Amino acid sequence: MGHARRILVSAAPIAVAVLVFGASFGVLATVAGLPAWAAILMSAVVFAGSAQFAAIAVIAGGGGVLAAVITGALLNLRYLATGIAVAPVLPGNRLARALLGQLVVDESYALGVSAGTRGRPHGLTVVVVGALLWVAWVTGTAVGAALGPVIGNPTRFGLDAAFPALFAALLMPMLRQPRAVRCALAGALVALALAPFTPAGVPLAGAAVVGLWLAR
Amino acid sequence: MRATGPLMPHLPAALTERTAGLAPALIAALVAIQLTAASGVLRLDVKALAVLVAAVLSFLRVPLILCVVAGAAIAALVRALAHV
Repeated sequence: MGHARRILVSAAPIAVAVLVFGASFGVLATVAGLPAWAAILMSAVVFAGSAQFAAIAVIAGGGGVLAAVITGALLNLRYLATGIAVAPVLPGNRLARALLGQLVVDESYALGVSAGTRGRPHGLTVVVVGALLWVAWVTGTAVGAALGPVIGNPTRFGLDAAFPALFAALLMPMLRQPRAVRCALAGALVALALAPFTPAGVPLAGAAVVGLWLAR
Repeated sequence: MRATGPLMPHLPAALTERTAGLAPALIAALVAIQLTAASGVLRLDVKALAVLVAAVLSFLRVPLILCVVAGAAIAALVRALAHV
């Protein structure tokens, strides 16, 4: 239990960021016309910030539910790869691992990789951080949906800069080996090359493929 | 999506070994994509400054929370000053 507590403490700052991010999702979802319960249910089931924001944008733009679902699925393509990466270190039978796999989001995956060894993320870190962030995300959504327009535009607080800053700070310690630097550069370049021409999500999936390809 | 890997009974070792390259590639791509404008073209604005600040602090082994807060604070500060 002491181990889990240490993981929780190290992830607490990220949980705060996710809480605020969830609140801004709740605000935007209700502004887009989604009932509060639907926004909270979506956060509980989908648990993917970028996919949910994109789906809301599609719905708000009159794109329809099917287009919103396809957009969200494209954005989550990368989770095919992270699921494969984390699968060997998750405990339990296949059903339990499939459920625990739902806790693998970018942040929990990144912290799990930092806490693990090469090619083997730390399973407990992924699960504990993922569960903490799920609670923060759903709670944040509920707060945002309740407060509505009172919060206002979240970019005012530099929140949109917090996530690229977080990922940059998570990336730096991974760049100790030349191979990792090569994968990072290639991933960023491929994503930037694909971004102007492909729907959201494809650039990240392309970067995942390149990372797997260049790993050795 | 996330269940696919864990549901597969046996993942080939060649595949799981390669996942070592996944994290840096994916996280670098996440940084890059968040620095693009709606058109998908890279736009170096205050968010890029936040990334630079966070990356330098992280390189200097400053704790994660301070890297993120410093990045966001710089972005909010520059934005507030630019609007005055």
